[in-house]
Amino acid sequence: MEKPLELSRYCVPFTPFAKQLEESLVCLVTTASVRAKTDTPFNVEGDNTFRRIDASLTAADLTYDDAHYDHACVDRDLNCVFPIDRLASLAREGRIAGTTPEHFSMGFSQALRELRETTVPQLARAVSAVRPDAVLLTGG
Amino acid sequence: MVTVQRAIEMQGIPTVLITVEPEETAQARPPRALCPRGFIAGHSLGRPNDEALQKWIAMDALSLLREPPRPGEVIRRDYT
Repeated sequence: MEKPLELSRYCVPFTPFAKQLEESLVCLVTTASVRAKTDTPFNVEGDNTFRRIDASLTAADLTYDDAHYDHACVDRDLNCVFPIDRLASLAREGRIAGTTPEHFSMGFSQALRELRETTVPQLARAVSAVRPDAVLLTGG
Repeated sequence: MVTVQRAIEMQGIPTVLITVEPEETAQARPPRALCPRGFIAGHSLGRPNDEALQKWIAMDALSLLREPPRPGEVIRRDYT
C-alpha cells in the first residue's frame, strides 16, 4: 500500500463518522504499554514495538510494563487506561455494536524518528486491517 | 499519541482520543480529543473499579464522533 503523505501539523486529518455508535465496531489503541500477561514484556526504557490484544480477554488477563505514569489506578484496575471491560459491557448493552477482534498497545519510546517512520505506520495498517468503524485512543 | 491518532485517521478511520495532557495534545492537533478535567496520567478514565464513570467517559469520547467536527481542538469536560 502506498504510504500516505504526512500532513503539516497545521492540517488536521479528518475522517467523517457516518454511522451510528450502535452499529459500530470499536477498536482500542493505547500508548500505556498494556499487553496480555502471556505476551512478551515491553522494555520500559524504550520500546518501538506494539502488541495485539485479543478483545476476548479481560483486564484481569492483562498487565503493563511502564515507568512513566502513576500506577496507583492501574494496579487496581487496568480499565483506568485501557477500558477493555467497559467496551465489552457497552457492547453487551447494545450501545456499540461490538469491538474489533483485536485491540492494540504501544510501549514508551523516545526514538521519535523510528516511531514516526516505522512503528506508527505499521500500527495504523494493523488497525486498519481489523476494520474498525471507530478507534478510541488512550494515553497513560 | 496524537501521531498515532493522525496516522489512523489518515487510513480513513474516524478516531477519538482521551487525553489527560490537553496542552500537549492540542499542540499536536488531534482530529478529535476529550480531556476529562482534573484527571492525571494513569487515570485517564477516572477512578479504579468505577465502572459507571469509566463507561460514561468512554461513551462521551465516542459521542464526539457524532458531534459537529472541531478538528485540532481538545474538548474539556467535568466528571465530578
